Amino acid sequence: MRRIESQIDTNAPDYKANFAAMSARLKEFHTRQHAARFERPQRDNDRLARQNKLGVRERLKLLLDPGTPFLEFSTLAACREYDGAVPGAAVVTGIGIVQGREVAIHANDASVKGGAWYPLTVKKIVRLLDVALENRLPVIHICDSAGGFLPLQHGVFPDRYLGGRVFRNQVKLSQANIPQIAVVGGHCTAGGAYVPTLSDYNIIIEGTGAIFLGGPPLVKAATGEVVGVQELGGAVMHTSVSGTGDYRAATEQHAFSLAREIVSQWKRMPKTIIETAPCEEPYYDPKELYGIIPKDRKTQFDMREVLARIVDGSRFHEYQPDYGTTLVCGFAHIWGYKVGILANNGVLFNDSSLKAAHFMQLCNQNRTPLVFFQNITGYMVGREYEERGIAKDGAKMLMAQGGSVVPKFTVIANASYGAGNYGMCGRAWDARTLFMWPQAEIGVMGADQAANTLADVKIRQLQREGKELTDEEVAAIREPVLERYKRDVEAYTSTSEIWDDGILDPVNTRNALAMSISAALNAPIDDPHYGIFRL
Amino acid sequence: MRRIFQIGGEETECWLAHDGSRFVLNTPEGVLPCRLDPTTSPGGFVLRARGLVRDVRLAAGPEATFVHMDGRTYEVGRVDPAERLAGSDGGASDDRLVAPMPGVVVSVAVKPGDIVAAGQPLLVIESMKLETTLAAPRDGVVAEIPFAAGDSFGLKDVLAQLAPEED
Repeated sequence: MRRIESQIDTNAPDYKANFAAMSARLKEFHTRQHAARFERPQRDNDRLARQNKLGVRERLKLLLDPGTPFLEFSTLAACREYDGAVPGAAVVTGIGIVQGREVAIHANDASVKGGAWYPLTVKKIVRLLDVALENRLPVIHICDSAGGFLPLQHGVFPDRYLGGRVFRNQVKLSQANIPQIAVVGGHCTAGGAYVPTLSDYNIIIEGTGAIFLGGPPLVKAATGEVVGVQELGGAVMHTSVSGTGDYRAATEQHAFSLAREIVSQWKRMPKTIIETAPCEEPYYDPKELYGIIPKDRKTQFDMREVLARIVDGSRFHEYQPDYGTTLVCGFAHIWGYKVGILANNGVLFNDSSLKAAHFMQLCNQNRTPLVFFQNITGYMVGREYEERGIAKDGAKMLMAQGGSVVPKFTVIANASYGAGNYGMCGRAWDARTLFMWPQAEIGVMGADQAANTLADVKIRQLQREGKELTDEEVAAIREPVLERYKRDVEAYTSTSEIWDDGILDPVNTRNALAMSISAALNAPIDDPHYGIFRL
Repeated sequence: MRRIFQIGGEETECWLAHDGSRFVLNTPEGVLPCRLDPTTSPGGFVLRARGLVRDVRLAAGPEATFVHMDGRTYEVGRVDPAERLAGSDGGASDDRLVAPMPGVVVSVAVKPGDIVAAGQPLLVIESMKLETTLAAPRDGVVAEIPFAAGDSFGLKDVLAQLAPEED
C-alpha cells in the first residue's frame, strides 16, 4: 500500500492559526473532561469516605488489568443538562480489559448525587448495554446508586428506551450467552435490585452493599415493620439465606479480585478473523491534525491529510481516485486491522453517492469493516441534480450503508448536516462507536441557513397579515434563533445528549477506532444481504 | 506484484519464489537459486547463490534495506511499482479551473496578468455551506477571471483561466 504524500506546509500561517485554534479548543475540552471525571464538592467526597466506599475511578483501577487502555464513553454526558450538576451523567461506561478480555463496564458514580439515575444516566447505561449486545461483550456492573431521580421520574422510567430497557438488555445479554457480573458496592434499591439479580454472577461487599426491592424507610411506611439495612438486604443475608447474592466480599479489594477470578474462568470465545497486517505508526505526526482542521468550520480541507495521520504507515489504497471525487474511498490498516474508509471531500453528488454504495458492497463482500470520516454539508441540491436522480442515488447509498453487515465506525470530524449524516453512518445507523471532534457540528442544516429559513417563514407569515418588517425587526427575529441554533449544533450539545459516544482529541482517534474494531470482532459477521436498490 | 529495487541508482525487477525445494530469485537475466540463513550475530546471515558463499549483514528500514558484504555497504531501495509505473502525473495540466458545483464567488485573490505559482490560491467559492479555495494547477500567468466576488456561477463554468504555456 502506498503512502499518502502530504501537501501540508507546517510553516504556513493558516496551519499555525488552525493549530492555535484547535489547541485552545482542546485545552477547554481536557479541562472540562478532567473536571467531569475528578472534581467533586468536598461534601460528596467526605460522604463516600464516611460510608467507607471507594470512588468509582479507584474501583475501576482495582478491576482493570494494569497498564491496559480503557475506552471511556461519553465523558461529558449531561454537561449541558441539569445545570451541569450531574457530571458524566453520574455513571462511567466503557470498554476495558480484565484478565486479558475485553469487557463492557457500567459503573455508578456515587460521588454524583449518590449515583442516582437521571434520564441521561439511563440513556448512557442503555447505550453501553447496546454496545455489549452488538459486540457480544461480557458486562461488569459496579452498582452503587440511590435509585431513580424522582423529580425527573417521567424521563427515567416509563418509555421504551428508559429504565426498563436496562433490565431488558440484561435479559437479552443472558439469552445470547454473554456473561455478566455485578459488584454491589452500595445500595441496589427497587428497580436497581434487578441489575445484580439478572447478572449471572454477583458479589456483595459486606457492610456497604445491599439489595432490596424496598429500603427500610419504605418498608416501615408500607407495613410498619422496622428493619435494618443489613438484615433486610445485606451481604450475609443474601449470600446465606435468600440466594440472591452469590459471593460475599470482605472488602472492595476482595470484591474486585473475585470479579477478576470469575472472568478468568469464562470460556474464551474465538474472535472473528479479518485481514490484518503488522501494525505501523502513522508516518505523519498525528498532532499535525490540529493544523489541518480549519479554524473556520466552513473552510474545505483534504480528508486524505487527515487519513495520513490516522492510518498505519499513512498508507492508503485509494479506490476510484478519479470518480466521484467529493468522496474519498479506499483501504487502509488501523493498528493492523484492515478497514474500508469513506471520507467526505465535499458535497455528495450523484457519482460520489454511487461510488459510496459500490464501495460499501465491496467491503461487505470481503468482510472489511467500514470507517466513516464525516465532513458533510449534505447531498447536492438543484434542478440539474434532481433530474439526474440525486435522491435516488442517495437512497442507494443509504440502502448499502444501512444494509451493511460488517461493523461500522464513525468519526464526525467536522460538519455533519442533513441527510449527509445519514449516508455517512450517523447515530441512527448503528455505528458500533461514533465519536466527535470538539469543533464538529451536527444538525439538520447550518446555523445561518436555519436562522434564515425560520426568519423567512416568520416574515412571510407576517406579510400575509399585511405587516411589513423593518431590518431591525427581521434581525430581532433572526438573532435569537441563530444564537440558540449555534449552541444546539455544537459538539458539547451532542455529547451532553449522548448522540455520540464522546468527544475525542483528534490524536486519540486512531486508538479509539482500534479498540472499537477489536471489540467488534467479538461478534460474528453475517453474510451480506440488502434491501432493494432503486436503480 | 513484481518488486522493483534500486541499487546504486539502477532499477532492477525481481521476484522471490519457492520452487518446491528451494528459494529462487526470478530476475530479468533468469532464475537464480539462492539461500539465506541467519547466523548467531544480530543482523548476520550467510548468503548462498551462484555457488558463492558470503557472510552478509542486513538492516531493513522503511524505504530501503542496507546490505553489508565484502567490506562494502549497498543500499537496496524499494520502489513502489504502482507508483513507478504510473508514468507522469497525467501530462499537461488543464489551463482552466472549472466550477465543481454551482455557487457564489466569495473572494478573488488575483487579476489577469498576475504571475502565479502552482498551488497558489486564486479564488474562494462557496456552495452548499462550504468554502473551497481554488488554486493554480501550475505555474503561469492569469489570463482571465470571469467572475467577481459576489457573483453566482453555474456547474462547469470557467472560474479562472491561465495563459497557454509557451514551449
